[in-house]
Order: sequence, then C-alpha cells, then structure tokens
Amino acid sequence: MKLDPELESMLAGESGNAAALALETLVEYGKNFGAQRMLPIKSAHLAGTFGIVTYKAYYKILDQLVKDGLKVKVPTTTNPRPGADFNFPNRIAFIRQKKLESSFEALGVTPNFSCACYEGSNEPNLGDAVAWAESSAVQFANSALGARTNRHSLLIDACGAVTGVTPEFGYMLDENRRGKILVKLDVDKMDPSALGFIIGREVVDMVPVVENFDIDRVGLKNMGGAMAAAGAVALFHIEGVTPEAPDMKSAFDGEPEKTITITQKDLDSLRSAEPEKADVVIFGCPHMTLDEATEIAGYFEGKRSKKPVRFCMIPSHLEKFTKTDAYGQALAAGIEFYTHCPLAAYTVQLGRKRILTSSGKLYYYLDGTEYGNLEDCLKACGV
Amino acid sequence: MKGKAGGPALVTRMPINFTAAFTKVGNSIPGRRSIIMDRHHDLYKQNIKGSVLVFPACIGSTYTGMVLLELMYGGNSPVAIVVQHADSLLVSGFVLADVWFDCGVPVVEYPSDDIYDLIKNGDNVEVNGDTGEIKVF
Repeated sequence: MKLDPELESMLAGESGNAAALALETLVEYGKNFGAQRMLPIKSAHLAGTFGIVTYKAYYKILDQLVKDGLKVKVPTTTNPRPGADFNFPNRIAFIRQKKLESSFEALGVTPNFSCACYEGSNEPNLGDAVAWAESSAVQFANSALGARTNRHSLLIDACGAVTGVTPEFGYMLDENRRGKILVKLDVDKMDPSALGFIIGREVVDMVPVVENFDIDRVGLKNMGGAMAAAGAVALFHIEGVTPEAPDMKSAFDGEPEKTITITQKDLDSLRSAEPEKADVVIFGCPHMTLDEATEIAGYFEGKRSKKPVRFCMIPSHLEKFTKTDAYGQALAAGIEFYTHCPLAAYTVQLGRKRILTSSGKLYYYLDGTEYGNLEDCLKACGV
Repeated sequence: MKGKAGGPALVTRMPINFTAAFTKVGNSIPGRRSIIMDRHHDLYKQNIKGSVLVFPACIGSTYTGMVLLELMYGGNSPVAIVVQHADSLLVSGFVLADVWFDCGVPVVEYPSDDIYDLIKNGDNVEVNGDTGEIKVF
C-alpha cells in the first residue's frame, strides 16, 4: 500500500504509539482487501457507546488513544446511550458508562448520541468518503445519501477518526456499488421494516436493487436498519428513489445475477399472531425522528394507550418535539419518551416482558420480542 | 490470522451474527462467554470455545469486530476459523487482536461450498493461517 509522507511518519510513531497502532490497524485491515491506498474521510461515526461491564480489550485500546492525547481529525458522531439509568440491572450492566463517555469527550467527538446521526448531526453528500460504524447508519449513508463507507467495526471506527483516513476497498469503489440482485415486489400493503428484514436474510451481503415503490426518508432508515441486522447488506438501491439508481440500467452493471420476488405472504410471515397479548410496545430502532414521532403520536391523539408504549428518539429531535403541542397530547395518551438505545436498555430485564415492536432490527436482536407492523402495534395499544 | 491450530470442527451453513450470539445476558456469566445465544441460529446454545468454527460469513452488527476481539482476548474463541467469505467485520476482529494484543487465532478463507463435504461436525481439523492449509483427520 502506498502511504503519503504524513501517514508514513504517523506509522513510524511520530504522533505517538497509539496513533501508529491505529494507522497500522487500518493498513493491515485494508491490505486484506487489496487496498492500494488510504483515502481522507469527511466524517466518522462511533458505534461503541455502551459501557458494558464485561468488555476489557475495548477499553484498553480506547484508553491508549486517550492517554496519548489523540483528538479526532474529522467530525465524529456517536451512537445512542444504553439507558444505564433505566433500571437497576442496567446500572450494573453499563457500569463503565461514565468512564467511556469521558474518553469520548477527551477525543473530541460530537455528543449527539444517536444511531440516526445523519438526521441533523452528520449528513454526508453524494460521493463523500466517510468511515462509519453502526450497520444501520452505514446503510443510510451508502443507500439513501450515496456517500461511501464500508461496514466498519467498533475500534476500526475510532482508528479512522483519529487518523482521518480509511483504506480504499469495498464500497469505496464504483464497481462494488453496482447492484447484484434484482428484488421484485408482489405486495399490497408495504412495510419497509419487514421488507428490509427479509431482503437482508435473502441476499446476505450482496447489493440488492428493489423495483420502484413509494418510500420516504424514515422508511429508508427503518428498512436499512432491518436489512443490516438480518443480513450483512451495506448498500441497497431502490429504482427511482435512491441517488445511485435513477433507473434499473444505472443500478446494475449489465444483468442482475439473480432475481427474487418478495410477496405479501413473506412480509406477513414476520408478524405476531397475537399482537394484543404484548405487555409493552416499542418504537425507535433506529432512533425515531421528529417527523416519525409526530406522525405515530398522531394516532394516539385524544385516546389513552391500553399498554405501556415507548418511543426511542434522537435526542435533538426529542428536544424539538417537547416544544410542540403534540408532545403534551402524546404524554396524555400514555406514550413514554426516551433517547436510549432500546436494544441496550431492554436486554437486561428481570421478569419476561412480551415486547411488540415495529422495528425489524430490534425484533432480530432482542429476545422475547415479536414483530408487528404499525397497524398491529396500534391495535395492541387499543388506539 | 497466523500460526497453526487444531480442534473438533463445529460446522454451520448459516451465517453467524456474532453480536446476536455473544452479547446476551446469558453470556455475561464466566464460562458462558462462548455460548451462541442467538435464538435465530442453528447453533443456538452451542459452545464455540476450543473448536475449529466453520461457517459461511458474518452478518449483523458492527459490534462484531469488537466481539471477536474480546473472545480472543479473553481466551474464549475458537482455536481456528474456516470461513467462506471474510468480510470487513470478521477481518477487523482479527487485525485488532493481532496489532494491539498479539492474540489472534488462525483464519483461512475457503469460498467453495465443498467445504461442507470436506469437513463434518466433530471432525478433527488442523488449520494453518500462514499457508491456508486445512487438514481433516
């Protein structure tokens, strides 16, 4: 790999041992994929924001970066907080939270604390090279915004942030961004989250191109989040919707390798048979935006939810929401508002609560969770 | 990725979501760190420690690199890995383990599906991370 003089001297230890190791990590990582050079990045996003009690190596590496006085070289946003104060077991599970956050502060990151960093905190443009972790954010940057990032792991994200570069391989290259699998739809009632889950499971890590259908920014967020959890998809295209796929011809490099069709039956196969039996209904994985919360809260207006219902929102968006009349009405309907990550916050639970969620991603990860589309979730709440 | 290691094969044709598998409450108890706790997976409740893990690819969360690092750092990982497709998340875990702690285990990438004819669950397998050689006894 060819490195410019500035990077060569960093590798030789001129910026300290930790910076040298961070760059060495990226060089070795890139070499595995045939990267010929490093690209400067416009931003970074760190996914490792949970101070989980059992981890050791993670903190050892971050501590080394902090001890050497390193600062992030590019704007760097952060994933959500884990809800360490949500209940007593969480206080134990996330006992390292304060120390972790002070490490991030020392590094100079942006404390936005949301996986939906692209909604107001970190929005790259078409073609921008970035280096993000958080599979749902990587999805959004690549697919909805046409920016370029690989699926980076925790710690690789930090190495990128403190060196300001990323190895040129994978989704940084034009040829790897073309579609491989054509996804046809035979669906009457669209559910982006369920669609994402099934596409992720079917295509695993190829680039799918979905035929045109009506979807907004929130739908793209939810679809991508589910796709990246159920599979390893870093980039998807929707004909006529996503920026790199104005039409089928541009989306593919020649013919698709494979065509699959997703039916209404496939989407419905994820849904719980008895949504009304849920003990609690959860929205917000990835984090809900202001528009999303306003829309869904609207269904509860003038009514009272039969079940506890929780909205997990982007902190800056929740702050805006609290200044609207809709917020008061939502509270009166029984909706609870949080800014934590629902997966982290509800993983450690004493007593089995039956959770219903409209998030394909949360459904994949959180044990004891059943899936419901918006209608199912509203029905469970009795609104 | 380097060196040689051997052990009993643990084989699956389902891609593994390492985050879903190893960050559950059930994993927090010492001795249970290496048990697969992903209820969607074929190998649910199986122990990967000491095995030669044979699987198609990683899926899921970007926590995966860190999860693999912690498994190797804590001595709870397989002794070696045979994977059909080594993606950025799998490679991250091994690079981090090697560069920062010199505790990476051997990995060999073997793309062909015939790996499942060559290695069956329980076979005694030896993997050489330097040469890419896989021996099945």
